[in-house]
Amino acid sequence: MGKEMIAMLLAGGQGSRLYALTQKLAKPAVPFGGKYRIIDFPLSNCVNSGIDTVGILTQYQPLVLNEYIGNGQPWDLDRLYGGVHVLPPYQQASGSDWYKGTANAIYQNLSFIERYDPEYVIILSGDQICKQDYSDFLRFHKEKGAEFSVAVMEVPWEEASRFGLMVADENGKITEFQEKPKEPKSNLASMGIYIFNWDILKKYLVEDEEDPTSENDFGNNIIPNLLKDGRKMYAYRFSGYWKDVGTISSLWEANMEVLDPENSGINLFDEKWKIYSRNSGMTGHKINAGASVENSMITDGCNISGAIKHSILFAGVKVEEGAQVEDAVIMGNSIIKAGAQVKHCIIAENVIIGQNAVVGQMPEGEESGVATVGPGVYVGDNAVIGPNAMISDNVKDGDKQ
Amino acid sequence: MMNTSNTNALGIIFPNAYDELVPELTSERLMASIPFAGRYRMIDFVLSSMANCGIDNVTVLVRENYFSLLDHLGSGREWDLTRKNGGLNIFPPFAQKNMRVYTGRVGMIATIMSFLKSQKEKYVVMSDTNIAFNFDFKALLDTHIASGADVTIAYTKEELPDSIMNSEELNKGRYYTLDLEGDRVKKIHINSQEPGVQNFSMNVYVFEREKLIKLINEAFMGGGVYMERDILIPQLGTLTINGYEYKEYTARIGSLKGYFDENMKLLENENLDALFGKNPIYTKIRDDNPTRYVNGSSAKNVMVADGCVIEGEIENCILFRGVKIGKGAKVKNAILMQDTVIEAGVNAEYIITDKKVKVSEGRELKGTDTFPIFVAKKQVV
Repeated sequence: MGKEMIAMLLAGGQGSRLYALTQKLAKPAVPFGGKYRIIDFPLSNCVNSGIDTVGILTQYQPLVLNEYIGNGQPWDLDRLYGGVHVLPPYQQASGSDWYKGTANAIYQNLSFIERYDPEYVIILSGDQICKQDYSDFLRFHKEKGAEFSVAVMEVPWEEASRFGLMVADENGKITEFQEKPKEPKSNLASMGIYIFNWDILKKYLVEDEEDPTSENDFGNNIIPNLLKDGRKMYAYRFSGYWKDVGTISSLWEANMEVLDPENSGINLFDEKWKIYSRNSGMTGHKINAGASVENSMITDGCNISGAIKHSILFAGVKVEEGAQVEDAVIMGNSIIKAGAQVKHCIIAENVIIGQNAVVGQMPEGEESGVATVGPGVYVGDNAVIGPNAMISDNVKDGDKQ
Repeated sequence: MMNTSNTNALGIIFPNAYDELVPELTSERLMASIPFAGRYRMIDFVLSSMANCGIDNVTVLVRENYFSLLDHLGSGREWDLTRKNGGLNIFPPFAQKNMRVYTGRVGMIATIMSFLKSQKEKYVVMSDTNIAFNFDFKALLDTHIASGADVTIAYTKEELPDSIMNSEELNKGRYYTLDLEGDRVKKIHINSQEPGVQNFSMNVYVFEREKLIKLINEAFMGGGVYMERDILIPQLGTLTINGYEYKEYTARIGSLKGYFDENMKLLENENLDALFGKNPIYTKIRDDNPTRYVNGSSAKNVMVADGCVIEGEIENCILFRGVKIGKGAKVKNAILMQDTVIEAGVNAEYIITDKKVKVSEGRELKGTDTFPIFVAKKQVV
């Protein structure tokens, strides 16, 4: 029996603007929100929306991501028929190729989709933080009798020119597509989430592949081709929380927004729309007698003796006595030694910040950069790391960067 | 992670043993499913220890009140015990004509005799669930095999807790102490009243499977009920029974007060490390979000699981998953089990709340150091 809709999740992004964080990690595997990775959001959305078949297209540094996904059990995606499948580029009789673009990645896996013979295919992006019910989106697609639908967000007009924009009539029918235009005719930004009728997707991917001049990209090639042919294309307005966490500052900001669910609109505490993740299996976190914790999120395995203010701590983080942590995102198993000051920054996994070291600083005037320390880095005692710094190698005791 | 190659032993767990010592906590569950240490159930410790030692054929002999345990264990996946060969087996009592529900180990093991005969492992490791530990069963097995003994009993050296020695009811939880000569057990006492440090049996046993089958069959035919009273004690002269001193951390639940104290001891980091530092202890996953400390909250010397929202003040507390502490509430020296809700302005000290308890706005609830107040499951105060 065919599936009604299956999901294809584009997770090949290198995330080059996350620098130190993604040197050995695909962007969708970047940790987020205390115990999640970015990819937990689209995967949990899928399973919460009743989609039980997901193909994950990986290409860049897939090791951690592959291990993390495993058999898909944490997301309830270990299924007899369907479930989650990691789809790296593979060798074919006619030669092999890296995924050349988003459309080509799907094209190379047409046979995967064929196995499930779906009516619809939803294309998702593995680098966004968003809680969205895809079944609402599908209902819209069906009601409109669409062949292609794209989820869009209203953005402020002055920022519109940074996005791919859908110009639509009052009915939601798309009449024009503008990629980062100088003079926007619309403020409906594409979220990079598409629903296709399967026959249409297949037809256009095959045709696109035959075009040697194509970049094999959904935004640049497939959507313009659909428009040119006058296909039934609709824009689905989404008004919930959505954030592309492609840069250090947007990643930091999105984490900070998790701390303020009442105002930011991203609520991880929603029993009806749980975000699933692979569990650390550590004990409850421990806050010792001399510690202070204000307005923060702390998870299993943490052991806190210092002062934590407005920060997110991932599993197994240790903060020693006299250390100060403020406006910081500290990823799994990192250790902040006694007297260190860690402020307004992102500390990746397995980092050690030495005694009395200083990392980042609270914004003063113009200077508001987010310092970043890459995974596994040792920052020596008394070292100083300024705001905006991007550290991916060990820092000696007393050094300044 | 330690050696996880297959161990030539199967496990048998008795989840109902000592239910009667903590009637408050076992009115709707059994010893094995008593919540402990913030996010675990008592059975997690023995089950994880077995799984970590490569014992991946584990039988749980449930007797009564076992719904909560079945829910917790599921297929055994969290302990990596979902196996085609072996894995987790849960044997409820036979609901069959002319069969009674056995209370002693002899009758309970007799009900799984055909299963036991068909297994391949050479040894059997048995345990109750009233002790939280991170047990290296591999070391115990190695010692047993090297000694050539028929039976090895693990014990701790400690004073017997008042709560079980002074129990009003004679039948409340049979316990055993050992007299040793070298490693050899010379005498097994039932419900000893001796003061001072004793060799206190953990009821963790190693047998050779064939030998166990023979001993149980003989005893069962002769009307035997309790393995210790009806097999081990009468045959102390003929069997080689050895003691194995367990020197690592243990948290033994013998009363509600003991339950409170053993939880509180884990607020000391060295105790926490001793129990959890060696090998992972697995438990059922709930997919809670991280715990959130809202502005105006304060936390001192607490262990908190995921999924909590803290708006008030907590001190010397253990919070299980999904606990909510309202604004201005003050909770000290307390154990709050899963999904307890403490509303705004509550003032509470020395309390144990079972699952899904709600303490309404502004209430005052104070127990004492020696007598913590217990609020039963789903009660509203």
